[in-house]
Amino acid sequence: MAQIRLVNVCKRWGSYVGVDNFSLEIADAEFLVLLGPSGCGKTTTMRMIAGLEESTSGEIWIGDRMVNGMEPKDRDISMVFQSYGLYPNLTVYENIRFPLRVRNVPKAEHDARVMRAAEMVELGPLLDRRPAALSGGQRQRVALARAIVREPNAFLMDEPLSNLDAKLRVSTRAQIKNLHHTLKTTTIYVTHDQIEAMTLADRVVVMNKGQVQQVGTPTEIYDRPANTFVASFIGSPAMNLIPGHIAGGVFGADGMQVANLAAANGPVTLGFRAEDAQVVSDGGNIQAPVYAMELLGDATLVSVRIAGALVAVRAPKDFRIDIGAPLQISVPLSVVHLFDASTGARIAL
Amino acid sequence: MPHRAFFAFIFPSLLAMVLFITLPIFSVLVQSFYVEHDAILTTVESCGPFGCDSETKVDTEAMAKLRADAPLGKFAGFSNYLNRNHLAVAEVGAIFSDNNGIGDIGARLMNLPFYRALAFTLAYCFFVTPLAMALGFAVALAVNTIPKLLRGPTIFVSLLPMIITPLVGSLILSWMFNPAGILGAGLQHLTGDPTLSLRASPALTWAVLLLYGVWTNGPFSFVVFYAGLQSVPQDTLESAKMDGATRWQSVRFVIIPHLMPLATFVALVQLMDNFRVFEPIVGFSAEANATSLSWLVYNDLVSQDSAQFGSAGATSVITIIGVLILLAPVLLRTWRDFNRKVV
Amino acid sequence: MANTRPLALRGLTTGFLAIWLIAALFPFAWTVWGSFKVEADFFSRESWWFAIEGTRTQAQTGGSFTLAGYEGAWIKNEFWKPVINTLIVTICVTCISLFVGTLGGYALARSGQRYAFWILIAALVFRAMPHITLVSGYLLPFFQLNIWGVLPTTIVVLVAINQPFTLWMLHSFFLSIPKDLDESALVDGCTRFQAFRMVIMPVMWPGVVTTGLFSFLLAYNDFAVTSMLLSQDNQTMIPKIASFLGSIQNEGNVMYAVAAVVSATVPLFVLVLFFQRQIVSGLTAGAVKG
Ligand SMILES: Nc1ncnc2c1ncn2[C@@H]1O[C@H](COP(=O)(O)OP(=O)(O)O)[C@@H](O)[C@H]1O
Ligand SMILES: [Mg+2]
Repeated sequence: MAQIRLVNVCKRWGSYVGVDNFSLEIADAEFLVLLGPSGCGKTTTMRMIAGLEESTSGEIWIGDRMVNGMEPKDRDISMVFQSYGLYPNLTVYENIRFPLRVRNVPKAEHDARVMRAAEMVELGPLLDRRPAALSGGQRQRVALARAIVREPNAFLMDEPLSNLDAKLRVSTRAQIKNLHHTLKTTTIYVTHDQIEAMTLADRVVVMNKGQVQQVGTPTEIYDRPANTFVASFIGSPAMNLIPGHIAGGVFGADGMQVANLAAANGPVTLGFRAEDAQVVSDGGNIQAPVYAMELLGDATLVSVRIAGALVAVRAPKDFRIDIGAPLQISVPLSVVHLFDASTGARIAL
Repeated sequence: MPHRAFFAFIFPSLLAMVLFITLPIFSVLVQSFYVEHDAILTTVESCGPFGCDSETKVDTEAMAKLRADAPLGKFAGFSNYLNRNHLAVAEVGAIFSDNNGIGDIGARLMNLPFYRALAFTLAYCFFVTPLAMALGFAVALAVNTIPKLLRGPTIFVSLLPMIITPLVGSLILSWMFNPAGILGAGLQHLTGDPTLSLRASPALTWAVLLLYGVWTNGPFSFVVFYAGLQSVPQDTLESAKMDGATRWQSVRFVIIPHLMPLATFVALVQLMDNFRVFEPIVGFSAEANATSLSWLVYNDLVSQDSAQFGSAGATSVITIIGVLILLAPVLLRTWRDFNRKVV
Repeated sequence: MANTRPLALRGLTTGFLAIWLIAALFPFAWTVWGSFKVEADFFSRESWWFAIEGTRTQAQTGGSFTLAGYEGAWIKNEFWKPVINTLIVTICVTCISLFVGTLGGYALARSGQRYAFWILIAALVFRAMPHITLVSGYLLPFFQLNIWGVLPTTIVVLVAINQPFTLWMLHSFFLSIPKDLDESALVDGCTRFQAFRMVIMPVMWPGVVTTGLFSFLLAYNDFAVTSMLLSQDNQTMIPKIASFLGSIQNEGNVMYAVAAVVSATVPLFVLVLFFQRQIVSGLTAGAVKG
């Protein structure tokens, strides 16, 4: 168990920057999620911590050791790969035992530890099978068991659920959460799925194009996104973002007006979430014809097009309206986020 | 993989290739600039009962010493490359400045050992490669239509001409083409010419060698094309059928384009292999009528008096340059692909 | 069904295939059959029926078949000596090639560096070098070092000449093993070499068997290197057969050479019989990916 510290870590391939100046402190026993779109450098960051990739510059500390240049085996971390990386020629039992074997853990302990790890992920009856004879979910659990069979400094998990079907994903997610609660091992978890991030994380790091966009608890990230990227990446549907201008405290865009904003004059992007606004019959901030209506089951999503952006709002589940009919939407001042039009950074209100 | 681990892993392999492929190439290059020492002559007086005789003979002792001191021989510059047995610059110049038309040029060039070997080597490369590929493709198409059960044995038989040791395969065929062998006798019978034989007829020798080449190279194309046929996209084939394509049109517009990358690969490998054609010349004892570049080198090395390292070296260097020219398109393409990938 | 072919096409296909199969098999069948006859039958001027029925063989030896050729080759000319040499050379070359090649091929498959790419390209060029041109570079140094003529030298040279091919083939087999496997092993506590030995090699053996077959064939079929680098006493089968031609043919004992040729062919047939699938997969491995 250990805390992990990254100081100005960079990874470049030639002129291509994979990870740019990444600094972060991960507390002992924390569950940290790296979240971002595909290709943003999450895996690379994790692999640099594991020692599978050398950082171009910067320092990586695990506990009180700087691990730059250290072999993966000496960093004492365990990792769950996206495609599991099980040894096809070994049985489930031998797969789980493998780390103990190569790390020269006394033979006498092996059986008990393998059994305990297998128990924790409910693999009991499968121990004699080979990976090829397992389902995706079962392989995933073998990979988890292999990671927890020893007590490493940290767990690294790279999109461990992405190869599972939707239902299995939910149950395995819960299992991972529970395991972390039991073992209290520092965990770094990579995903591009914001729901996984929100449900699992103590803290989330949102990344884009190799750069950290925001670090915070799931609530912070959801409630106060640091910039338009985070705002549009977190939440489903994505936050509505409307380009416009502030003049005398009034936000104006084609088809939309919000008054009483304590912000300087100039171009801005205004954001609000679909669930924070209401369809009203009169006096809304937005007036536009309906563009589309989608039934979600527990609600109805109605969208309009203003200022070149698609704006969605959540209406009650029995709300119905024709496409093209005029619609009014009220956006309370308290749910409005403002972002700088050029940098995208959040403007404090 | 870190650099250190990489080099630790590849070291034995790299060492073997550097020691036994790269160094010999340099060694050949160096050798090609030397010739055998001139004989050192001494005059010995031998006096007998009928007076004294002075006799000139090779001073073996001095020669041995010289050979030990300078085993490469005498530095000769480019003379190995330019002499009659290689590029034959003077002779070629003479032929071009004074000749009786194209036919004469050809005939006289074919009297120069190097050009004779080059002509056959290139002919072998550029006849055998496409013909063997066509044969392989046809066999692959045919095998693809027979019942699954028969395919195994068919593939087994088809592999034999390829897997056979080249020298052994060419010996087997050469015995059959012997005037007293079944095919040689058959040919005499067919043509009604009782003197027809490999030894007597350069044209027949060339034909039989090329035939051997197609026979032994065909199976490789067959196997690769057959594997390729198994992966022809069935949807495309079926939609071609629905669009009304005839059998030939599906072959022409679906199957051949699908196999094209494979064909490039096969052509490359076959060209490389055929350029070093050598064993068939020995197996068919064809050297009177057809020689190849590799055979010239071999011949220099086994020559009766003493191995002609300089001459062998010069031919080798020219052959290596030939290989590089053959490979150039591939190397250029790989280089371009690689640069594109990096950027 | 849309797949049925017109009768004419089917006849054509079958006919063509039959001709090819005869062309592929007949020379071997003929030579094997003939190797049990006397020379007058094998090279019969009058009629090739003699070769089939063994007319002269009957006249000369009393039976339709004779082992005279094999006796002459194996016993009188001690063909068993080159056979043993071949055995030593091919086994050593195959084992060493595989050992050296798996290490190198693994490194090439797992390094994304530019120099790995260049090594592969160099190997491609080396693969195209005519062996005899390399041989002409060996002779002088080997004479100087006094290591010419012996089996170990030939084995090492054949291993080196095989390397480019072996590297390419093994490299493409290693590429088909997911990288995750090595990396799991590294994180689980292996060194690179342990990962290679304990995790990768156990799943690699089909590729190793296939590559081994081709290394074996290269060594077995070689003539250029073995004929130039081995002294008379240490010759392997193929150069021995070639030297038979020089000496025996003139003495009218060409049947010895025929018997030796058949003897050298049999192991190849057995090899194809047992490893047909691996040979086919090996031939296509480079092609389908490249
Ligand atoms: N070995 C490499 N060489 C060059 N570029 C790479 C290499 N590995 C990854 N990249 C690039 O770095 C970026 C980040 O990759 P990665 O960390 O895998 O993203 P992800 O967030 O999806 O896990 C990607 O654009 C990828 O193309
Ligand atoms: Mg990733």
